[in-house]
Amino acid sequence: MSSSPTETVVDVTMPQMGVSVAEGTVVAWRVEPGDRIEAEATICEISTDKIDTEVPAPATGVVTEILVPIGETVEVGTVMARIATGAGAPAQPLDGGTAGAPTTEPSSPTTPPRPAATNGNRRYSPVVQRIAAEHGIDLSQVPGTGRGGRVRKQDVLAFVEPTPVEEPPLHIESPYRPEPVAPAPAPVAEAGDGLSRMRRQIGAHMKRSLETAATCTTWIEVDMGRVEAARARLGVTALAFVARASIDAIREHPAMNAWLEGEKYTRHSDVNLGIAVSLGDEGLIVPVVPRAHELSVEGLAARIREIARRARSRQLTPDDVYGGTFTITNPGQYGSIMATPIINQPQVAILDFEAVIKRAVVVTDTDGNDSIAIRPMTILGLSWDHRALDGAVAAQFLATVKRHLESVP
Amino acid sequence: MPTLTYLQAISSALRDELRADERVLLMGEDIGVFGGAFKVTDGFIEEFGPDRVMDTPLAESGIIGTAVGAAVVGMRPVCEMQFSDFISCGFDQLVNVAGKMHYRQGLAVPITVRLPSGGGFSGGPFHSQNPEAWFMHSPGIKVVAPSTASDAKGLLHAAIRDPNPVCYMEHKHLYRRVKGEVPSGVFETPFTARVARPGSDLVVIAYGAMVPVALEATEDMDGASVEVLDLRSLVPLDEEAILDSVERCSKVVIIDEANATCAAGAQVAALIAEKGFESLDGPVVRVATPDVPIPFSPPLEQAVLPGVDRVKEACRELLAY
Repeated sequence: MSSSPTETVVDVTMPQMGVSVAEGTVVAWRVEPGDRIEAEATICEISTDKIDTEVPAPATGVVTEILVPIGETVEVGTVMARIATGAGAPAQPLDGGTAGAPTTEPSSPTTPPRPAATNGNRRYSPVVQRIAAEHGIDLSQVPGTGRGGRVRKQDVLAFVEPTPVEEPPLHIESPYRPEPVAPAPAPVAEAGDGLSRMRRQIGAHMKRSLETAATCTTWIEVDMGRVEAARARLGVTALAFVARASIDAIREHPAMNAWLEGEKYTRHSDVNLGIAVSLGDEGLIVPVVPRAHELSVEGLAARIREIARRARSRQLTPDDVYGGTFTITNPGQYGSIMATPIINQPQVAILDFEAVIKRAVVVTDTDGNDSIAIRPMTILGLSWDHRALDGAVAAQFLATVKRHLESVP
Repeated sequence: MPTLTYLQAISSALRDELRADERVLLMGEDIGVFGGAFKVTDGFIEEFGPDRVMDTPLAESGIIGTAVGAAVVGMRPVCEMQFSDFISCGFDQLVNVAGKMHYRQGLAVPITVRLPSGGGFSGGPFHSQNPEAWFMHSPGIKVVAPSTASDAKGLLHAAIRDPNPVCYMEHKHLYRRVKGEVPSGVFETPFTARVARPGSDLVVIAYGAMVPVALEATEDMDGASVEVLDLRSLVPLDEEAILDSVERCSKVVIIDEANATCAAGAQVAALIAEKGFESLDGPVVRVATPDVPIPFSPPLEQAVLPGVDRVKEACRELLAY
């Protein structure tokens, strides 16, 4: 035995990244032989046919050798490097190297060696054994403060790091989120990274839409008097009414609720409603309210509020932005009255709802008398894809939305 | 935000849904003219009429069976079981018809069954049960159990709008004892767990009426940091939240007001044993009602139901382990 009794060698192996992944390629090493590395710190980067990822060091220690050069593809479980851990002697011999030659058959290539579950009269809980293994600790040296001198989690943590509060987290942060809270104002300092990537993606997406679709825009004027009264009564936004009216109009004109992907044209029975949400300087995202046709005006208002909140607090998942069949954009809070929105591919239409502004308009009473009245008016704009439908359908659709909005109870 | 009792929050959700969606209708025993045994639907029949607030015969099988039919043709019925104990009379319609409809015929059954459940007020063996585990064991049925006024409203909205049959466990003991700020209007609470109080040394996992018990019992544990996780939804069970709490705290006490064997907490314990093993620093401890019917006698009832003292003792024991 050439290794000292206080040294253990831990193998770094190609991890199993998923059931279908059998091999991986080393893309970069973050260490050289002789470097010291902490457990869980990235030791190398690997690439598989599915994802690129980082491999955490299985133990704290000194890298003794690197066995797989950059660019080489090896099978899952292959030993890529070895780390010698210095602290503490294991209770029994582990797979340390013999006589300088690498062990040809590591006993357990995918997991770091574990201390024994018992040591004399002492028994160790799973979490204590795991922490000890990760830090190469001999548990017989750890003073126990639990019942009968049992070594508890806090004991082994205190042994690893005298100030356990500053211990770096052993695991990645859980994506679980507690109770919804109002989103904190976006931290200015963090705006840098996401900004350019999101802007690039928006740019590419918009450009591709304009190059792909034969985009036309049609407008209609709508008297929002009844909506304004109803929204005040229900305490919801006018957007929810426009959304509901659009869904009702889609029922009468299903051509609006479709995807056109190349030659492939699909009409949808469900209305999965995309709502453009501004993220301020960073850009814009279009989360989707799935099966929006099942929701009432209040239900739509609540869901729109919820997805906007989650969008602004960066809590959307990929599923939240997938599968939209029709989109509404609503940038009217600054007073702008018309726009030519760009279609969210592969959808065939997008509705633009801008400001509601009081105007003098000619109204006709039931006896046919004309007069000038002050009415809250808006202009709805529909950009549509001339490949998928024609102007008459777009105009009919807008007229139906108008009819629904002007007859809100 | 208005402050409502748990009971008022349930009423508010029902009223908002009836106003918002004409497909929503209520069915139950004495919910109309009498306003419900607990007055949850007091005044509803005046506002919405007898076609939408239906007094039914004393026949739970008929209530749920009718609701399933109405749901299949597009309605959104909300059934009230006067006491959750009576659901056993409607078991076949719920478990064999409603729960399997989607799998057999591909039809959605968006019914909500309100189950006033639980003991603590000397209701005896037929008016105090917590039957949620029966339905956790039965595929195709969701089960939720709010512990706060806000969740009582939000989970009921979400239950009514869910396309599946949902058992909504409303705890009678919380009806007038629990009060809290409740957002007005319609909002849906997701079927996920909620950290009622964050902590790091031990987590108490509970739902329904056991959440306030857990909070009170662990308020002062000699400086230990005790987390309380409110499951809110039993089906689906928020595995991620449970395992996250276990990973951080490493010691777990699970409380059920239901009888211990095969209770919701047993499922949580099994989950932790299977997927949270390497995070554990002690045995998974359960506190539940022993496998006996709930006694009528007040001192006997207090002896079988998990209370503040029993939970405190269990936490102390495990913290010292």
